[in-house]
Amino acid sequence: MTDVTLTINGEERSASVPPETSLLRLLRDEFYLTGSKLGCDVGDCGACTVIVDGMPVNACLMLAGQVDGRDVVTIEGLATLEDLHPIQKAFEEFASLQCGFCGPGVIISAKGLLDRNPDPTKEEIKDALSGNLCRCTGYTKMIEAVQDAARILRGEKEAA
Amino acid sequence: MKKRGKGMGCMWYPIGFTVMANPSAATVKVNEDGTATLITGTVETGQGSLTVLGQIAAEELGISTDDVHVVSADTDATPMDTGAIASRTTYVTGNAIQLAAEKAKNILFEVAAPMLGVRPNQLEAKDRQIQVKGFPQSCLPIGEVAAHAQNGAGTPALGSASYNPPTVAMDPETGQGKPFSTYVYATQIAEVEVDEETGEVEVLRIAAAHDCGTAINPMLVEGQIQGGISMGVGMAIQEEMLFDDEGRQINPNLTNYIMPTSLDMPDLEVDIVENFDPTGPFGAKGVGEPTAVATSAAICNAIYDAVGARIYNLPATAEKVLAAIKSKDRSDRQKYLPAE
Repeated sequence: MTDVTLTINGEERSASVPPETSLLRLLRDEFYLTGSKLGCDVGDCGACTVIVDGMPVNACLMLAGQVDGRDVVTIEGLATLEDLHPIQKAFEEFASLQCGFCGPGVIISAKGLLDRNPDPTKEEIKDALSGNLCRCTGYTKMIEAVQDAARILRGEKEAA
Repeated sequence: MKKRGKGMGCMWYPIGFTVMANPSAATVKVNEDGTATLITGTVETGQGSLTVLGQIAAEELGISTDDVHVVSADTDATPMDTGAIASRTTYVTGNAIQLAAEKAKNILFEVAAPMLGVRPNQLEAKDRQIQVKGFPQSCLPIGEVAAHAQNGAGTPALGSASYNPPTVAMDPETGQGKPFSTYVYATQIAEVEVDEETGEVEVLRIAAAHDCGTAINPMLVEGQIQGGISMGVGMAIQEEMLFDDEGRQINPNLTNYIMPTSLDMPDLEVDIVENFDPTGPFGAKGVGEPTAVATSAAICNAIYDAVGARIYNLPATAEKVLAAIKSKDRSDRQKYLPAE
């Protein structure tokens, strides 16, 4: 068994798991954080995207042991009891999601981008979302929502 | 060298199949607080159909969409629905809901008429009130009428209805009949860039004009069209199921079954063509599947416009396009060879 202690959404958590356990399985099966989705489990679809030490990664491609001592942000870490995160709000306002399965991964990828680059171009947004497959939407409304959320996070626009 | 071209694809698509029974049903109940409950069997899969169906009930009852509570997709408690398939939900289920809401509304009119001293056919439901046509100051809150229907008149304000598109059986001799209730139309124009040396196609831009009858929720219609185009782009140049000699798929995963990412998607312009279909709920038809139909035709025509090569089987992968360019070059050269 591998002992792991990590920070998830600001809270220190520990688990003891078999060494082959992926970060995704750790999050979903040990901590019941099922917002990160298990899609392809081989790094193609991006539905499991989480932020590790500030960078978006596919949680299915990382071993639980690799995140020992590191900082992980999942989709559950974005909203507060009072309010959605500005990116989540923008996705709602722009009807950016349809079936929604890709949503947690897409929103986490967008957060990873905006944390590093608060004023991205449309091409930079497309690039940041390119690891997240979406079958329903054609991505257009997601890109518009990320642009809008960026304006709100930069303080250029009031949140709706 | 990279060459650009433009191409167009046009299509019509049938809504409300009628070759077999295709019913939907709904119950609409107006509550004493002025809200309404809509009970229907249809399934929301992210397209926003429950929003649209709630809008239809709200419009018929003269209340806000926020006032409509939708209960769906539980066949223990709701009517069975033919399905969230065939681009039929807005049209078929929507018609059932409008009919059900109308029945509930007519009960409210019967109850409100003596309260307002008019005949039921002089009433309308608007702004959360039952009011006299032309005299909106003569009105009652819809919740108060619903409460009186329940507790005074003893005729609770609810309606149930079903809708099955009218059938004209196909004549086995002539093939004539009316297989579908109505049709939608669309045109899409694609601009592509084709690399003559590699055959690689990049779709730069797609403009899509779609008729869906009344667009009950234009934002959701736009989302359906954008999503359909992404499926069309995949179908046109990327997505291919490959099989070995035994009939087993050799690319049963997203590593080598390639679907469009955000980087593969062109700029999209969506134009919803205003139209009214008298057989649909508030003039609406449908929009789901038709959105993906014209895309691959438009893209293949654009490829032809760019490099003069015709692609007859999809997807137009780089190797197929390159082969088509080369065989065209050969046949072009042969034109100039002297006849033997």
